[in-house]
Amino acid sequence: MKPKTFCYFLHEAFCGIFRNSLISLAAIGIISIALVLFGLFYIFTVNIQHLGTLAWDKIEVRVFLKQDVSNTEKIKKQLTQIPGVRDVKFIPKKDGAAALERLLGSKNLFTDDDNPLPDCFHLSPAEKANIDEITRLASAISGVEEIVYGQKFVNFLKVLIRLVLVMGLVLMIFSALAVLYMVVNTIQLTVYARRNEIEIMKLVGATNSFIRWPFLLEGIFLGVGGAFLAVLLLTKGYGFLLGKLRRLNVYIPLLRCTEVNQPLIISLFAMGIFFGGSGSLFSLRRYLKD
Amino acid sequence: MILAKDLTKIYSNGVVALDKLSLSVEKGEFVFLVGPSGAGKSTFLSLIIRRELPTSGFLTVNRQPVALLKKNEIAFLRRSIGVIFQDYKLLPNKTVYENISFALEVIETSSREIKQRVYSVLELVGLLNKARVFPSELSGGEQQRVCLARALVNRPLLLLADEPTGNLDPETSWEIMDLLREVNKRGTTILMATHNKIIVDKLRKRVLALENGKLVRDTIRGGYTLET
Repeated sequence: MKPKTFCYFLHEAFCGIFRNSLISLAAIGIISIALVLFGLFYIFTVNIQHLGTLAWDKIEVRVFLKQDVSNTEKIKKQLTQIPGVRDVKFIPKKDGAAALERLLGSKNLFTDDDNPLPDCFHLSPAEKANIDEITRLASAISGVEEIVYGQKFVNFLKVLIRLVLVMGLVLMIFSALAVLYMVVNTIQLTVYARRNEIEIMKLVGATNSFIRWPFLLEGIFLGVGGAFLAVLLLTKGYGFLLGKLRRLNVYIPLLRCTEVNQPLIISLFAMGIFFGGSGSLFSLRRYLKD
Repeated sequence: MILAKDLTKIYSNGVVALDKLSLSVEKGEFVFLVGPSGAGKSTFLSLIIRRELPTSGFLTVNRQPVALLKKNEIAFLRRSIGVIFQDYKLLPNKTVYENISFALEVIETSSREIKQRVYSVLELVGLLNKARVFPSELSGGEQQRVCLARALVNRPLLLLADEPTGNLDPETSWEIMDLLREVNKRGTTILMATHNKIIVDKLRKRVLALENGKLVRDTIRGGYTLET
């Protein structure tokens, strides 16, 4: 394509937007609403995932040893080698007793000789690690008496994270389809308003690709405009929400603006460009049949 | 230039627009296509520029079998044919210059050549002083001249005119006819569908008369009807 031709396409795309300014504004508005919807689901999903990850980090698997086990270094080494174990911390029976005393508010609960508590290891599982597998492998180590972890909580958390992820994905797919539907319908209006132009272009011998280009660029510009508005609304809105929570002294460990904004901006602009462009091409189809 | 053999067009609603039409038009001819409304004149023009496909039969334009053209070849066929319409089909938001240059922009002609060719056809149709004017500021005759200029700017071998004087007063109609005759003298083949009896009778060109999709008369230097 000659640079002059591309400049002509750009000029025609901008003229198309400004000549049909009301329809173009409506298209930008509708695209931005649809993208805001998508962005809200995105922000909700990534935050729930984040909260799930934070909760997962709090999970500890406690491995209690049999009384009078002396080879704790060897056991620690074996525990460290279990796949999915991020960190292993040894809690000797003496420290266990001290912790219990702190918890109960008593002093000198046990002496060194009559301390009934066993030595213990605290394992921190890595993100998404299979805790059942970790406990199975840990219980097979010689010297291990019992393994305790919040099994019910872990299972609940697993189901919750999966559920939110699936729901978020489904909602994002639906909102993406809604974006496409709205974009196609709105751009169809702009294409319809210019059907005579398309007909004349065909009659004077324009190829279909030549006709498509200005409309494709116009769709992309409308998509970018819609994405820009949506990004503005969502980033300002999310910043406002975090600020409000901070002022009210409500501590919910939500993702910071900088963590949310970058992927959000990239995905909204990518969606705006993709849906604006493809919506435009889709709307043109019936006018370019012959 | 145009060769039709047993050309038939039946629309999806069952209307037979053309019924085994056979005719030929030679290069450089000026031919009137006459007949009552619904006779098949506009359908025939639509088949020539591949806006429609024939149901059966054979049609070639400049030796190209129109129905067999691939999608990307249709645009090239249309570049060799100029078309003018009763309702002009000008773009209201483009100036006269832009309406004409548009036909060259779509075939990626250089800016210098566009300027040269547009002013040349504007001179031919007598609208040099209206280049920067919008169609709504022009009279019907001037709009038709712009339409003609747009059709000619590609230097077509064939010019199709579908009722070009249908919306014009007699005086303006003759201005357009004078231009068409001038274009024909320069070598462009002209096929003009018309209901204008006075023009057909006065110019005495070849007349093809259609009725119910059939060719009922082919007269060299004919009139609008057999009697005239």
